[in-house]
Amino acid sequence: MTRCSRIAPALIAILVAIGCGSSKPQDASATTEGQAASSAPAQAAQASAGQPAATGSASIQGTVRLNGTAPAAEKVKMDADPVCQQQHASPVYTEDVVADANGGLKHVFVYVKEGAKGPFPVPTQPVVLNQQGCWYTPRVLGIQVNQPFEIVNSDGTLHNINAKPGVNPPFNIAQPVKGMKTTKKFTKPEIGVTFKCNVHPWMRAFAGVVEHPFFGVSGADGAFTIAGLPAGTYVIEAWHEQYGTKTQTISVGDGETTSLEFTFTAQ
Amino acid sequence: MWGLAAILWLAGGGALAASERPAPDPKAGQAAYGRSCARCHGAAGKGDGVDAKRFYPRPRDLTLGVYKFRSTASGTPPTDEDLFQTIHRGLPGTNMPDWQQLDEATRWRLVDYLKSLSPVFEHTPPSPVTMPPDPGAKRADLEKGQAVYQQLGCAACHGASGRANGMSAAGLVDDWGMPIRPADFTQGWTFRGGAAPRDIALRLITGIDGAGMPSYAEAVSGEDIWHLAYYVASLQEPPAWHMIAHPLRVSGSLPASLDDPRWGQAERTDLRLRNVVQPAGEWAHPPTVRAIRMQAVYNEDTIAFRLTWDDPTQEAAESPAPDALALVLKPADTQGDVVTLQAWPYAGAPRLDLCYWSAAGVSGETLAAEFDGVRSAPRWPATRTAASSYDDGRWQVLLQRPLQPQAPEGAAAITAGAFTSIAFAVWDGGNADARAVSPWVELSLRDPTRPSGGH
Ligand code: HEC
Ligand code: HEC
Ligand SMILES: [Cu+2]
Repeated sequence: MTRCSRIAPALIAILVAIGCGSSKPQDASATTEGQAASSAPAQAAQASAGQPAATGSASIQGTVRLNGTAPAAEKVKMDADPVCQQQHASPVYTEDVVADANGGLKHVFVYVKEGAKGPFPVPTQPVVLNQQGCWYTPRVLGIQVNQPFEIVNSDGTLHNINAKPGVNPPFNIAQPVKGMKTTKKFTKPEIGVTFKCNVHPWMRAFAGVVEHPFFGVSGADGAFTIAGLPAGTYVIEAWHEQYGTKTQTISVGDGETTSLEFTFTAQ
Repeated sequence: MWGLAAILWLAGGGALAASERPAPDPKAGQAAYGRSCARCHGAAGKGDGVDAKRFYPRPRDLTLGVYKFRSTASGTPPTDEDLFQTIHRGLPGTNMPDWQQLDEATRWRLVDYLKSLSPVFEHTPPSPVTMPPDPGAKRADLEKGQAVYQQLGCAACHGASGRANGMSAAGLVDDWGMPIRPADFTQGWTFRGGAAPRDIALRLITGIDGAGMPSYAEAVSGEDIWHLAYYVASLQEPPAWHMIAHPLRVSGSLPASLDDPRWGQAERTDLRLRNVVQPAGEWAHPPTVRAIRMQAVYNEDTIAFRLTWDDPTQEAAESPAPDALALVLKPADTQGDVVTLQAWPYAGAPRLDLCYWSAAGVSGETLAAEFDGVRSAPRWPATRTAASSYDDGRWQVLLQRPLQPQAPEGAAAITAGAFTSIAFAVWDGGNADARAVSPWVELSLRDPTRPSGGH
């Protein structure tokens, strides 16, 4: 259930209007409404807080849920490449949709779509995409524009990383040797950049590239956190590889933790 | 005008004289495109021309700006010169012909027009790769090249011997979700971007965008690239496309094994195979068997054929669709009737003489007006399999047949001094709905009264 806690009283009315108080799951159609409502309070919040800092002390803690039953996972057939097969004692299942018993939906990229005011420093610490057991870890990752993106092959077999972004330039590179590392970066924001391996067609990973550090990926219970936000009103988007996006607008205050729930519906 | 043309040429890194590149003329480019390219690539370049559905690979959607054959880094567009080369050479092994009948100015205008179809050329500059120095054939180390081939995992797609039978080959899809097959390195004539060591080295460095083949630019040293390129080039078996095939005359017994030394003296004839185009289109079942090699040796009454073809998967007796072959002969009285096996059988088609072999252990001869029944119908034992083997993506089959079988009645007779038309149909059980057929070639036996051939 959606809870609205510790929210600056002035914002409650807006939040109720745009979803926090609504008992029905938000759908994408809320986006326009939410965006329209967001600009005025965002300015108000800024005005009262003075010049906004790039980062702050507010956070959003939320859950992504799946309404309905997830499609059954399928056993991945890895027998064509013995190097892959040998690394798994038990069968590996597809992860297109992973939901727990309570409907918590894993692998959802949740990020601030609108409202973050930069510029933001670019971390020098790389985000790592590891290939191990002919599987990508993590499956879904967030990364900042121009942050180093390190692709590592931890397997003794050939992987190729075939990246098909829409906005950033695509690439397809081979990593034939165990331990090989390649560093790339994305120069433009883009959600849902897909990585696949042609040698092992079951391998899939996705990246959300954003200009700021305000993003999170839902865990096995569907929970995610976006921390360090300055007080303000934000459009938050949740992206799932199968179910697309949902958007909500939310306001947060300094030092507060605000909760937010997204619900996708199984088709 | 002239100045602009020169600048554009420089930007393209062209090797042709600057004077040959005309000033851009979008109207002329578009008109030339409409005349020569639109029937495949579509009026708006979306790859949806009237002929598009039939072809494997499909004509490219030129609005995507994804190009396979470049001299530029993975993910960046081709140079003008690359595009010019593609138009100039065509893409061998696909339906895209060369355009040398168009004058050079028109080809350059087409380059300009192609670039106007995709925004990629505006926002991403081509990033040409640097080629390491070519050591030359004499200094290339083929053994080293073979080791690099293993190390880089080319075999995962192309197979240990390069016969397109790697572990991942059957499941490959291109970036547009269509099935795609890796190149068979023994068949250099199927390479689209050229089969010389330099072309191969370039493919390794740039990758083949859209086809799933990655760039190895960061995975291999400059020296090793050349060892590997020369090694891959050395796997090619140059084809002998003959219209007339001359079997080898021997006295006494015919070769009974696949490695009888006399095969080394027998002439080779390669025949190109094409899948029979089905309503679903050629791309529904990308071709897996693209050529067959025929050699024949005969004595006074019998002829032996050694047939060799690459098939990435072995389907034998246990398989619901075993690999199979029909050696098809035109009986003398049907000469001229069946122009091509592509169209045969058809209503009222004449009967052909089918010498049938299957990996399930069936062989025999039949006269029929269609293929389907042949694979289960009773056969005369005139044709027999003397030997067969499947090794790392390659079938070899040895068939023997009387020159003039007594049965079935009307069977084709192979006689000296006359041409006998021969063709092949090949079924790959791993590509079960596809039937690949060859054109006809003529068998010509030497006059038996004159001594010739064998030892
Ligand atoms: C008979 C059909 C046909 C016609 C006509 C045709 N093409 Fe193509 N073309 C193809 C096919 C098929 C491909 C895809 C080959 C592949 O993916 O390997 C292709 C691919 C291309 C490519 C992409 C090459 C690359 O590097 O990926 C270019 C460029 C191209 N064609 C230009 C032209 C131009 C210019 C014309 C007219 C002068 C033309 N084509 C006419 C069938 C055709
Ligand atoms: C992930 C699978 C994959 C791997 C690994 C791979 N290739 Fe390929 N390769 C392909 C495919 C698919 C094609 C066919 C492309 C097409 O039809 O458009 C191809 C085509 C080629 C061609 C023919 C290009 C042409 O001009 O038509 C060459 C040469 C080649 N590969 C060399 C190599 C070498 C050498 C390696 C190892 C360093 C390698 N490939 C690794 C998939 C792969
Ligand atoms: Cu892989």
